[in-house]
Amino acid sequence: MTWAGSIFDTAGTPAERIARLAWFLIIVSAVTYLLVLVATGIAIRRARARRTRGDLADTRPETAKRLTRNVAIATIATTLILLVYVTATALTGKAIAWPLNARQPLTIEVTGYQWWWQFRYRDSVPSNWLTTSNELHIPVGRPVRVILLSNDVIHSFWIPELHGKQDLIPGHRNTTWIQADRPGVWKAHCAEFCGHQHAKMQFDVVAESPAQFDQWYRRQLASALPPTDSAAKRGHDVFVQRTCIMCHSINGTEAGSNVGPELTHIASRPSIAAGSLPNTRVNLGRWILNPQLIKPGVRMPPNALSPADMNALLDYLETLK
Amino acid sequence: MIDRRGTRHISPRHVAARAAVAFLTLAAVGTGCTGGSEQTANAKTPPTSTASPGTGGGHTLVARNGIGAGQITIPGAEPEDGQWLRPAKDYASTRFSGLDQITTANASQLKLAWSFSTGVLRGQEAAPLVVGSTMYVVTPYPNILYALDLSKPGGPAKWKYEPQPLAAAQGVACCDVVNRGAAFADGKIFYNTLDNQTIAVDATTGKEVWRTQLGDINHGETITMAPLVVKGKVLVGNSGGELGIRGWLTALDAKTGKVAWRAYHAGPDSLVRIGPRFKPFYKTDQGKDLGVTTWPPDKWKQGGAGAWGWISYDAALNLIYYGTANPGPWNPEQRPGDNKWSSTTFARDPDTGEAVWAYQVTPHDLHDYDGINESILLDLPWKGQTRRVLVRPERDGYVYVQDRTTGEVLAADTFGVVNSTLGVNLQTGRPAVNQEKEPQMGKVVREICPASPGTKDWQPSAFSPRTGLLYIPHQNLCMDVEPVEANYIAGTPYVGMNVKMYAGPGGHRGVFDAWDPIARKKVWSVTEDFPVWSGALVTAGDVVFYGTMDGWFKALDARSGAILWRAKLGSGIIGQPVTYRAPDGKQYVAILAGVGGWPGAIVSAGIDARDSSAGLGIANAMRDLPNATTKGGTLYVFGLP
Amino acid sequence: MRTRRYLRQWGRIAAICALGLALACEREKRRFNDASPSAPAYAAVTLDTLQPGVPSPELTVKSPSEGNAYDIAQGKQLFEQWNCSGCHSHGGGGMGPPLMDNEWIYGSSPENIVATIVEGRPNGMPSFRNRITANQLWQLAAYVRSMSGLEAKAPSPGRNDGMQYKVDEQRTPFRTPRASASKTLPAKSERP
Repeated sequence: MTWAGSIFDTAGTPAERIARLAWFLIIVSAVTYLLVLVATGIAIRRARARRTRGDLADTRPETAKRLTRNVAIATIATTLILLVYVTATALTGKAIAWPLNARQPLTIEVTGYQWWWQFRYRDSVPSNWLTTSNELHIPVGRPVRVILLSNDVIHSFWIPELHGKQDLIPGHRNTTWIQADRPGVWKAHCAEFCGHQHAKMQFDVVAESPAQFDQWYRRQLASALPPTDSAAKRGHDVFVQRTCIMCHSINGTEAGSNVGPELTHIASRPSIAAGSLPNTRVNLGRWILNPQLIKPGVRMPPNALSPADMNALLDYLETLK
Repeated sequence: MIDRRGTRHISPRHVAARAAVAFLTLAAVGTGCTGGSEQTANAKTPPTSTASPGTGGGHTLVARNGIGAGQITIPGAEPEDGQWLRPAKDYASTRFSGLDQITTANASQLKLAWSFSTGVLRGQEAAPLVVGSTMYVVTPYPNILYALDLSKPGGPAKWKYEPQPLAAAQGVACCDVVNRGAAFADGKIFYNTLDNQTIAVDATTGKEVWRTQLGDINHGETITMAPLVVKGKVLVGNSGGELGIRGWLTALDAKTGKVAWRAYHAGPDSLVRIGPRFKPFYKTDQGKDLGVTTWPPDKWKQGGAGAWGWISYDAALNLIYYGTANPGPWNPEQRPGDNKWSSTTFARDPDTGEAVWAYQVTPHDLHDYDGINESILLDLPWKGQTRRVLVRPERDGYVYVQDRTTGEVLAADTFGVVNSTLGVNLQTGRPAVNQEKEPQMGKVVREICPASPGTKDWQPSAFSPRTGLLYIPHQNLCMDVEPVEANYIAGTPYVGMNVKMYAGPGGHRGVFDAWDPIARKKVWSVTEDFPVWSGALVTAGDVVFYGTMDGWFKALDARSGAILWRAKLGSGIIGQPVTYRAPDGKQYVAILAGVGGWPGAIVSAGIDARDSSAGLGIANAMRDLPNATTKGGTLYVFGLP
Repeated sequence: MRTRRYLRQWGRIAAICALGLALACEREKRRFNDASPSAPAYAAVTLDTLQPGVPSPELTVKSPSEGNAYDIAQGKQLFEQWNCSGCHSHGGGGMGPPLMDNEWIYGSSPENIVATIVEGRPNGMPSFRNRITANQLWQLAAYVRSMSGLEAKAPSPGRNDGMQYKVDEQRTPFRTPRASASKTLPAKSERP
């Protein structure tokens, strides 16, 4: 999966303010750097000219006074620039703090596992709490409060287009917020080294209109229907009678384990393996057969299934839209 | 007190403190103050212990009745016939016997009449039944039913029935492979096996009449409760709240064994048999399909809430009363919402199973406070009127007095050390949760009282209309907990909590109280070293019986708590004592001795207490039990010489 | 003169580097994708020592997870996540027997433990046949052994981050395993 994402392609308020600050710092620093380079260049040229003339140093008192004055100006200028930087950073920090006048936010609990993501959407009615994995949908224009938890080691939540990074620390609860101001699809990453497959611990983020978001939400809440055709039925049997049921859950079946990502609507996801592999039948088959060839060290083991069983299982998984 | 290493400390300060408390208690009792406020029940009543730990006995100087002595009637009471047809004795669950040959004057002369070894060395929780001249005893797995001939000296076995339940059922039984007994009706003995069968056996011949498979061990279900037979229906509830079961109460036709109705305890109203007759008293229990909306999607299907405890029946109102068990998993963060209908008291119509009212005692349970304890039905004077109530000493540490026609809670007062809640709001019916004692993922929360077995677990109390007092066997344990993520894999445990229990304040782990339900306080109290896990029995001779986990079977004066007699049996006692009139016309008391159950598994199942989380955390509190008793499985019968 | 000093200096540096390389080479191998001896290989192993005639020499199958810290740690995670701890707690038992004592009803070797997990046992141990892969079975068996001190100290898990309910596996003393099923009183040295 190619890297996609840029902190300058902002799509939401926190990201915008951070990007603005970033540009400001870059430009001011670049200009200052150029000035320093130019000044250094002038100093070198003058020193060379003096050597050619035979003077090693300019000891005239007016030179000393001029140098003192220049150094003083440079120091004051540096201090002022740094003060401006500090102020700009502080103002940006204030701007990206949680909007206190935010109306009813959407609250999502994000739990980091090695090496995948679980999202649990809160609601006033418990039977509307949605748990899903590796794919985050948010409505455009609504602040989303994100609560960060970890199941094992320190991870970091980072959607480059939407906001800065925030860690998921085991035994601790962190909070941040995001808001998308325009629809889009982005790739998010874990931003804190967390083991073998840190580089492939990604998730898909989809920002859509509130109406589309509600539609997606309601579809995700629905439990999986029992399979109707015989191939999918066999696939369901493979799922609940072999290794799958030990680690995965599918609402509407006997499978209820949280060791691995929940799969109730796996067929609706654009990618698998924590956002690192496009979700196609071939990829899914390769992944189930031996995940270690794709993400060595991942906790899912190789599964020796006969071709008939594997095809049936894939047929069944494709019904989980 | 016993510190976490199990070392006991007794200081002169402790003794002086107890003496001071005893004196003040006597003074308070003497002036007849009633205590308790109108709106909110008091959150904490210090235990009025009058004995120092370890002596296993206690006494006050004053013998008195409760306020309601002689004024409290038992609905549906029948004249005493010297038999014991069901574990609770009567449908009101009083465990009161009208036999009065054994009295406070002669109880000290009790001696062993005969004994019988069941051959099974696991926890013996059953109540022996006496029908005519036959005694029936049900053993823990493998659930043998013995019929003993009381007309012959020595009570020899007439026959035995062996149902041969699946051995694998032992692998999904959370708290030892116990059985709480049988019930007699219509010439048949009805009882349940560990592997989810209900069996009807001809009481005379011992031949099987029918057996019905009600559940599946592959879903984590077992059955340990004693059934109740009401109007030709056998009522059975399942166990398995620690394995993500779907809890239910089922009624079978007593003649044929066919299922008449089944009420689940979670899910849509149609499954819970909630219909037009359903009128819960409190707003928090009113609404449509609360068994679905108070759980995350689909999680009600693994929600636990079995019914493995006691059922009472009021013939005049035609209602059965029982409570449901804890929600699953123990880790509350995985099931946001009230989790109805776990830890709920139900009143149902026994003919159809329809729910008439329900009261969720512990919404969104945080500490495994099952709601399955006995409901004792009483008609008592309450603030100038006679009210039809049920009295229940609950797991969460409160004695609930509820109007049994509507479910309204009239009083809820603590009978032990409670800090997990801060009182029950009688307007809303909800307990005030103590946020500081709420389990949180990634954290260890300490000193939660009462611990998961509660202030009182399944062990049933007894009520005497003569003294007006409720005799409550219970425990004094606190715990540390650490939630972890639970994974549902059918047939395996679904808990998600590391627990470590230990003795509560005072250092004693067991208590036996005499409680006045109208005055709403203790009248006398005895502390014991180990949890008092046996049932209680009270007679018209004003003698109270109970047993300790280290094997002492005791008789106490029902008015004063003075110990009249005790005998050391071969193993710890967790069973239910019964009394009967034998064919020879004399009164006898029978009790099974054989330690086990949840706290006794360290002996009966050989749990290793070097892991203080073993046995769902109770091993840590029971480290010294193997020094005090060994496995057993013997029935003892005592009588006057 | 100068050359000799250079050689001495660089020679020392080279020696230190060589030493470092030598140490770095002995790193524990983590078998993510090895073909391990598949679990059914345990079938060749007997459950106990009672054999008619003259007992055959002991057949063993080498567990690839023995002494491997990563495998034992993975075994510990699986033990918790697959609810083994729901019945066996953290070695003390509950619904199931203790695993931290030295009483082994069905054998204490890694292949015996794998057999127990795969086949189940009559009094309530479920059968995980086809539910757990070969590598994971060896990992679980190694962890179970570490609970009673049968694994080496260095690769065994250390102290928990959370609740301390028992002495960690690293400090659990070794005790000779006994094939028995008595479940009598714990030995005197274990009682408080």
